[in-house]
Amino acid sequence: MPDEESQTDAEAPAEGKKGEETPAKAEQAAAPEQPAAEKPKAKQPAEEEEEARPRPPAGGIADLLAEALPDVKLEAYQGMTDVIVEVERDDILNVMSVAKDDPRLDLKFLRCLFGVDLEAEGLEVVYQLLSFEKGHEVVIKTRLPSDDAHVASVTSVWKAANWHERETRDMFGITFDDHPHLVPLLLPEDMTDHFPLRKDNPLSEIEEWQGDELPEEGYGGAKKR
Amino acid sequence: MVQERGPDTVDINVNMGPQHPSTHGVFRMVLTIDGERVIDVEPHIGYMHRGAEKLSENMDYRAAIGYQDRTDYLAQFLTEQAYCMAVEKLLELEVPERSEYIRVILCELNRVTSHLMFLGAFGIDLGYFGTSFTYGFRERERLQDIFEEVTGERMMYGYFRPGGLAWDVPDNFVQMIRDVLPHTRQGLKDLDMLMTQNEIVAARTKGIGAMNLEDSINWGLSGPMLRAAGSDWDLRKDKPYSIYDRFDYDIPVGSHGDVFDRYLVRLEEAYQSLRIVEQALDQLPDGPIMPEKMPRRLRGPDAEVYAAVEGPRGEYGIYIVSKGGDKAYRLKIRAPSFCNLAALRDMTVGNYVADAVAILGSIDIVLCDVDR
Repeated sequence: MPDEESQTDAEAPAEGKKGEETPAKAEQAAAPEQPAAEKPKAKQPAEEEEEARPRPPAGGIADLLAEALPDVKLEAYQGMTDVIVEVERDDILNVMSVAKDDPRLDLKFLRCLFGVDLEAEGLEVVYQLLSFEKGHEVVIKTRLPSDDAHVASVTSVWKAANWHERETRDMFGITFDDHPHLVPLLLPEDMTDHFPLRKDNPLSEIEEWQGDELPEEGYGGAKKR
Repeated sequence: MVQERGPDTVDINVNMGPQHPSTHGVFRMVLTIDGERVIDVEPHIGYMHRGAEKLSENMDYRAAIGYQDRTDYLAQFLTEQAYCMAVEKLLELEVPERSEYIRVILCELNRVTSHLMFLGAFGIDLGYFGTSFTYGFRERERLQDIFEEVTGERMMYGYFRPGGLAWDVPDNFVQMIRDVLPHTRQGLKDLDMLMTQNEIVAARTKGIGAMNLEDSINWGLSGPMLRAAGSDWDLRKDKPYSIYDRFDYDIPVGSHGDVFDRYLVRLEEAYQSLRIVEQALDQLPDGPIMPEKMPRRLRGPDAEVYAAVEGPRGEYGIYIVSKGGDKAYRLKIRAPSFCNLAALRDMTVGNYVADAVAILGSIDIVLCDVDR
């Protein structure tokens, strides 16, 4: 779809797409070697995303991470609000301890840690880090296969990770190796084989009240009309 | 339950909650005590887990506002603000000036009501049996009436919308708040007089449950808990969102990180919020409350956003993973109560049983926020 169209008639539904393009455009000015950044972004959401990902700003947190971790594979790109860095799961503990202790990074505050179920692409663990001193923030992610979901615990780096990891285990079934006390936190103690926030656990359909007529069988709402 | 009989001491497990007046909701902790000393604490949460995140993933962006209210039910406007900010970032919506001002006014008044609730309940935790609670609730009620007048609800407002507000405020909005502010300020002063100089309060709170700054950051504490330990980190100042850079106010900071400092920081924060409200009322512009080009259906791009506000309990953040469409693919709530409560064990061990209640009270948890 040509971009002019969405801009000229500026209709309401075009609002959502505009948001995608602005960071990509801004990046183009800075990095001209990415001429194809715009088209796949607007059209195909999932598949061709790898090439279209805008680069993070130069000299920012992504560069500092790369500088502090020269022999670790980092894949950084600019998200809508944060710089996102993808790392291999075997590197997680190394990356996190350097991120916290390296004076250039100083990411001492673990904002949040959570899982995302990407269905066919596996599971993702997201770490949000923040530095009070430097004021910079970064999102670090790692990908796990759904049937072998385990990653090193970062409780040795941040105590804050303790409950976040227990919650993520509850909801996604991700095992955090070397966690000191990985037992269900929010779910019942015996509920260790059912992971409610995975996408293969859909909510049952919500039946909405369709009118003033009462169902003949009563109020249960179980019967489909 | 007596575990073991020996010649000298016996450790006893004391179960507290889930139905207990001092646990501020359905929260259970198992204290292991040696005489009057707490030697271990095992918190049990999850009694209020409703799956707010999962539910929010299954309804469109507007419908999910209701679930945000029901997480931190003492700071509903702030939860709505965080959620709406996240959706606005995702859809690149521009919020009109007037809406921003009304949001700030309501959020700051909401912070005051939340802190009044804390101050009232905190007195009960320390053994006031209702005096502070009555003082706090008298003033809270006046502000609650304003919220009711504006939104039509007493608790679950559902008033903010991605892009602005559901409807404009009543004509007497500004006057209504100006009339109440002196009462609120006086009410805070009453509580201040009642508690700050009180010897019993000092004895029950000073030096109790202290956590130093380094540990506080390592435990991921935020909000008044973190500032009581000596950091001046406040998202309103350090990562300014909405229009907070236009007001003149101070960030109160403690130095000991104990229960008393947490109380003082919250008390002073309430005063500062009233300052922000006064300035915002002076500057409140006329104009529209929703952007002109508002999409009928909110459809996000394939992207991820994070938006956070400085809530009364700390950083309340919403992370949305969108895969296109009108629903969030994954919505994560960074609940400040959850993060702050995780540090309970480190704060409580070594103190007396009676202080465990004061320490838990000083965290100012909302269990619906902890469990989501």
